[in-house]
Amino acid sequence: MAAGATSLVDLLRRSAQRFPERPAILNRGVGVRYGELWPSVCRAANALRAGGLAPGERVALLIENSAEYVIAYYAVLQAGGVAVGLNTAMRGPELARNVAQCAAGALIAMPGHPELPALLAACGTLRQVVTIPGSGVGRAAPTRALAWHDWLANADAADIPGPIEPHAPAAIIYTSGTTGDPRGVTLSHRNLVANTQSILDYLRLTEADRIVNVLPFYYSYGNSVLHSYLAAGGSLVLENSLTYPHLVVQAIASERATGFSGVPSTYALLLQRVTLADYDLSSLRYLTQAGGAMAPALTQRLRAALPAARLFVMYGQTEATARISYLPPERLDEKLGSVGIGIPGVTLEVRDAAGVAVAPGVEGEVCVQGDNVMLGYWENPEATARVLHDGWLRTGDIGRFDPEGYLSLVGRSSDMIKTGAHRISPLEIEEVVLELEGVAECAAVGVVDPILGEVVRLCVVPAEGTALEPRVVQAHCRERLAAYKVPKEVVFMATLPKTASGKVKRFMLKEAG
Amino acid sequence: MSVAERVRQYILENFLFSTDTSLLGQDESFLGRGLVDSTGMLEVLLFLEETFGIKVADHEMVPDNLDSVNRIAAFVERKKG
Repeated sequence: MAAGATSLVDLLRRSAQRFPERPAILNRGVGVRYGELWPSVCRAANALRAGGLAPGERVALLIENSAEYVIAYYAVLQAGGVAVGLNTAMRGPELARNVAQCAAGALIAMPGHPELPALLAACGTLRQVVTIPGSGVGRAAPTRALAWHDWLANADAADIPGPIEPHAPAAIIYTSGTTGDPRGVTLSHRNLVANTQSILDYLRLTEADRIVNVLPFYYSYGNSVLHSYLAAGGSLVLENSLTYPHLVVQAIASERATGFSGVPSTYALLLQRVTLADYDLSSLRYLTQAGGAMAPALTQRLRAALPAARLFVMYGQTEATARISYLPPERLDEKLGSVGIGIPGVTLEVRDAAGVAVAPGVEGEVCVQGDNVMLGYWENPEATARVLHDGWLRTGDIGRFDPEGYLSLVGRSSDMIKTGAHRISPLEIEEVVLELEGVAECAAVGVVDPILGEVVRLCVVPAEGTALEPRVVQAHCRERLAAYKVPKEVVFMATLPKTASGKVKRFMLKEAG
Repeated sequence: MSVAERVRQYILENFLFSTDTSLLGQDESFLGRGLVDSTGMLEVLLFLEETFGIKVADHEMVPDNLDSVNRIAAFVERKKG
């Protein structure tokens, strides 16, 4: 591991020096070696500078997982900018809101993204727009954009780092806040390096590791997989969709992957639709699971299906860069249901409402301290002040320690809906639904789903004398929100149950239906 | 109603929440449009198995068989033989 690394680019540069011939990224049969990846990063960084990128300026990336995403992300860091990976499932207005909130000066995008025209029309702050050919579905690039290959070809490949300060912002990851407004989790170079080094430490990743990756890099979990593999000199085989799960399993077998990472719904899908015993998966050394609690029964089915692979159950949060805790696989059977102990360099406490640490067995809010704790939410001091206190992060998750200091999560203090790998604020949906004529009131909640953990249920009170169809409400949401936020169920009610102070009793809506 | 018409109606109603057939071309890629994700595909499979009385095997779950209305229709016709 690189001692004294200031940023992720130091870790990638080191991998390129040590393993120039090893493949870094494998995508649809095309491989990019470390010795090719690093000069491309330097070129793109110099191109960003030539385009006028100022230190600390934000660069938005609207790119599916690909070598280009990796080159663009590391180039932004190398050039001293701040990388903002946008959620490619979002619709135009959602993307524009995030790009505007961080006042990004540049955008690197797939020209085929259906929401790109709407994003460009809405964002006047973008000075530099670069589009990547071959990544779309046949749509023409916007006229004001530079083409990726020309942009790179005209740039110098000299390795000119920085300026990079360890505690300066390096990346922003937008999450869905509990109040509905976008929250740009701002991570420093130090945050990213520290979390990457901790992960390398407990997963013991080396250049011999190879992962088939299905997690989007724009979320913190996929982001951490990407950085830890590049720092180790390992190989990432990109499979960008779980729509055809057996193709993913086939890739694990044919690529002789040593690792695989998923959220509970990833494993639920694989176990439901694929007969794993039909494939030679003996190369798998480990599996990781994060992104919400996995039912113990599913954990056991997964262990039975792949007994030779060590399963790391983990817990994390974007505000903590990605990873907070892990359960050592050798303790999995005796500690089933626990998310384990703090990762190296991270301290955990469970605190009561007064902010005082409580004894094992007592429930309270999980709080985290370490170099992985974010700088704050981008230009949102009020939201930041609610979660950061004296260098500690309040996670909003409720948990308790056992006598050995192993953490179990028992709930969340917020109303966030967790569906698959996504987190959704109910308010985001409610605000959109209230725009629809004929809706007097509404509330969105998460209801249990066997695969996704939760799906969105929307409870609607129609305005007097109005008849609404569920499909009309869903179509309205589909036009304005990412597909995963569209309610699966729409329930009509005469009134919403409320407390004396007028707050919607969401727990009652979860049981309705 | 033909197999293709039934499949198109199902995709329109369940993923686009509409009955307007102009919203979905018979050869349009579901993945390219971002219409059907991994759990959406499970729902499509269940629909095909229940409606047409077929069983879709692991190795048949590929874009060539399932990524557009016409591909699904051709696949179902082959399965029904």
